Amino acid sequence: MFGWQGKILRIDLSRGTWRTEALPTYLMQEYIGGRGMSDRILFDEIDPRIDALSPENKLIFSTGPLTGSGAPSASRFMVSAKSPLSNCVSSPCCGGYFGSNLKYSGYDLLIFEGKSPEPVYVTILNDRVEILPALHLWGKESYETEKMIREDMKARFNLDNWALNSMGIANIGPAGENMVRFACIMSDGGRAAGRSGLGAVMGSKNLKAVAALGTGQVNIADVEGFRKAVMSFYMEARDSGDFRKRRRYGTWGLPGRANASKSQAAFNFKDGYFEKFVKYEDPEVIIDLIRVRDEACFSCPFGCSKRSRVKNDPEYPLTAKGPEHETMALLGANCGLGDMEDICRANYLCNELGMDTITTGAMISCAMELFEEGHLPEKDIGYPLEFGNTNMFNLLKQIAHRQGIGDLMAEGGIAFASHYGHPELFMGIKGMGIPAWHPQAFDALGLQYATCNTGGSHTKATMPFYEGRKDPAFFVEFTKKDQDYLATADSGILCWIIYHGPEWGDKMAEWLNYVTGTNYTKATLDPLGERIWNLEKLFNMRAGVEKDSLPPRITTEPRVKNRVVPLDKLLPEYYEMRGWDKDGVPTKEKLEELKLEKEGEGVI
Amino acid sequence: MKIKIDHKTCTGCKQCEIICSLAHTGSVNPWRSRIRVYVGEEFCYPVIAGPYTEAACNSKGTRMVEGVEVDECVTCRASCPSKSVYKEPDTGIPLKCDFCGDPPNPQCVQWCAPNCLTLVED
Repeated sequence: MFGWQGKILRIDLSRGTWRTEALPTYLMQEYIGGRGMSDRILFDEIDPRIDALSPENKLIFSTGPLTGSGAPSASRFMVSAKSPLSNCVSSPCCGGYFGSNLKYSGYDLLIFEGKSPEPVYVTILNDRVEILPALHLWGKESYETEKMIREDMKARFNLDNWALNSMGIANIGPAGENMVRFACIMSDGGRAAGRSGLGAVMGSKNLKAVAALGTGQVNIADVEGFRKAVMSFYMEARDSGDFRKRRRYGTWGLPGRANASKSQAAFNFKDGYFEKFVKYEDPEVIIDLIRVRDEACFSCPFGCSKRSRVKNDPEYPLTAKGPEHETMALLGANCGLGDMEDICRANYLCNELGMDTITTGAMISCAMELFEEGHLPEKDIGYPLEFGNTNMFNLLKQIAHRQGIGDLMAEGGIAFASHYGHPELFMGIKGMGIPAWHPQAFDALGLQYATCNTGGSHTKATMPFYEGRKDPAFFVEFTKKDQDYLATADSGILCWIIYHGPEWGDKMAEWLNYVTGTNYTKATLDPLGERIWNLEKLFNMRAGVEKDSLPPRITTEPRVKNRVVPLDKLLPEYYEMRGWDKDGVPTKEKLEELKLEKEGEGVI
Repeated sequence: MKIKIDHKTCTGCKQCEIICSLAHTGSVNPWRSRIRVYVGEEFCYPVIAGPYTEAACNSKGTRMVEGVEVDECVTCRASCPSKSVYKEPDTGIPLKCDFCGDPPNPQCVQWCAPNCLTLVED
C-alpha cells in the first residue's frame, strides 16, 4: 500500500489488551487520514453527549498518508477526542518525531479506549506493543517523564543511544494527571498538541505517556515524480525571502507585526498594542536574548521553531521549545508581562506542567482583571495579582496541581469567571481562550474564531493578511474556504503553518497523488474538507455545544481601531455560504449534497 | 570529494535520512539510510556511515563538537555490531555511504534545506 499503512492499533486500557484492525478503504477514500478519519471514528463510536473525562471518551492519535513520506512539512500527528473544555470534537496537532515513528511502526491510527485502573504508559516498537506500569512516572514533569521512559526502555528493550534518540514520546505533565481542563499533550521536550484540553482526557484514562519507535517504511507510488517535485519545491523555497525569514525568525517576528497592526492582544484584550513589546519589534533582539538553536520538526525544510533558554538562571537550567508568538501574546502581553525572559520562564513552566499556554494565559489575564477590578479578593489568591505581576508563576503551578485557587481555575474560564460574578471577563469562545491576534483588528478573524468547530482556535482557519482586500464578502468566503481546506490539510497531514491559505490546496493534491497514487485535485479535495467540517458541526450539535459567539468585549466595546466585530452581520452571511440555515444548522439539501443525510438525522 | 557538516546550522529535520533511503531503496525509512541525525540539546549531529567494523570498540570516550561534549559513539561513523544504525533493519546487512554514484552527487546534500551539508573538494 502506498502512503497509508492500512492498519489501526486499538488499545483497551480497561482490560489492558490491544489488537490491530485493517483500515477500512472508505476511510482512506473519503476522510484521507488524521483529523478526517478521527472525526469519523469518534462520530461513529462515541455518544457526543458523554462526559469528556469519562472512560467512554476515546483518545485517537492519528497520522495521515503524507506523514513520514518526506513531503515537506508533513511530520504532524493529530490527537482527537471530545474536548473537556469546549465539549466539541477537537483535533489539536503536534509536530516533532512522534508522528513519523507511529507511522513507521506500521499504524495510521492509534485508538485508546476505556480507563486503566492504574497509571500506565504504552510502548510501541513496530508490532511489539506493551502496556507498562507508570506509577513511578506519575507526578513527574514532562521533560523528566521523557528522560525516565528512555531509561526504562534502554533497560527493557536493550536499545542503544541512536534508537533512544530517534523515538518519539507523547506524554502528559501534572496538569494532565490532575485533569486540568486545558492540559495538553506534550512531545519531544516542549512540543504540544495544545488546545482543547486533551491532556486531561489522557489523564482521565490514567495514561501517562506513549512512546513509539518505528523501523518500518512508507511506500511512495511515484518515486521519481515525487523526488523531482520535492526538489523543485525546495529550489523555489530557497530563493524566497519568506523562507529565509521563517527559518531565521519563526514566529518571533510577529510581536512586532502585531503591534504595528494594532492587533496585539494585551491586558485581557482591553488593548491591541503593548508598549513593552516595542523593544522586541526587531526579532534579532529576541534571538540574542534567548535562542539556543533553530529546530525543525521531522521532514520540514523550514524549521521555524526555536529552542530557548533563560541565560544565567539556575532555576531554569533546561532548554524549552518556544515561546511561540501565541505564548508571547497570551502569557506575555495579555497578562501585562513585558520581559521576554519572564515570558520564557512562564513558557518553560507551562511546558513542564503540560498546560496549553493560550488558554492558561487567558485564565490568568482574566484573574488579573478580576483582581484589579476588585472582584477577586487577595485573600482568595494569597498574593497580589495585578497585570504584569510575576506572582503568576506561582499561579501556574497552583493550577497544574489544583492547589488553592488553582483548583477552581483548573475547571476552565467560564466556571472561574462565573464564580466571581463576571463570566464576561473571560476572553474565550466555547470555553477556550482566544488566541493572540485581537479580532477587532480584522473582522474575518472574529468570524473565524466564533465559527471554529473546536472553540477559540487559530489553527482551523488562517488569518488573512491580504492588504487592500477588506470587503466583508471576501472575508466570509475566505473563512469558509480556508476552514474546508485546512480540514483536508489536517487530514493529510500537512503543517498548517507552512501551507496556510486555501491556494495551497493544489500542493496538497500534488503531494497526495505522488505519495498515494490517487488522482486528487483541489476541486475534488475541497468537498472532502467540507464534509469533515459539517460532520464536526453535527457532532457538536449532538453534544449540545453553545451557539457561535464572541465575548461581549469583542462585539460591544471598541478597544482597537475604534471598532467592534459586527458578528451579527457576518454570521448570517457565513451560514448562507455554508448552506446552513440562519441559526447555523446545516440544511437537509446541504447534507444530501455531502452524503451526510443519515448523520444529520435527529438534529436538523 | 567529501561532505562537509556544519553543526551550527543543522535543524534536525532529517530530510537527508528520507532522501537517502528513498534514493537507495525506493521507499522512505530512516533506518535504511546511510546518514543519520542525532538530535542534541544544543546541536544536531548528522553522521555519515563509514566502513563496517567487525568488533565493537566499547568506547566510553567523549569528544568536543562546537564546544559541546558529545558521546564518541554517537559521532563515530563506523557501522558496528554494537550500534543500531547503518544496518538493514530486516537483515542486518551493513550500510555505507556511496556518494550516490560517480561522479558524486549525494542526494542528502541536494535535499539539505539549511545548507548544513555541502560537497567540497578534498
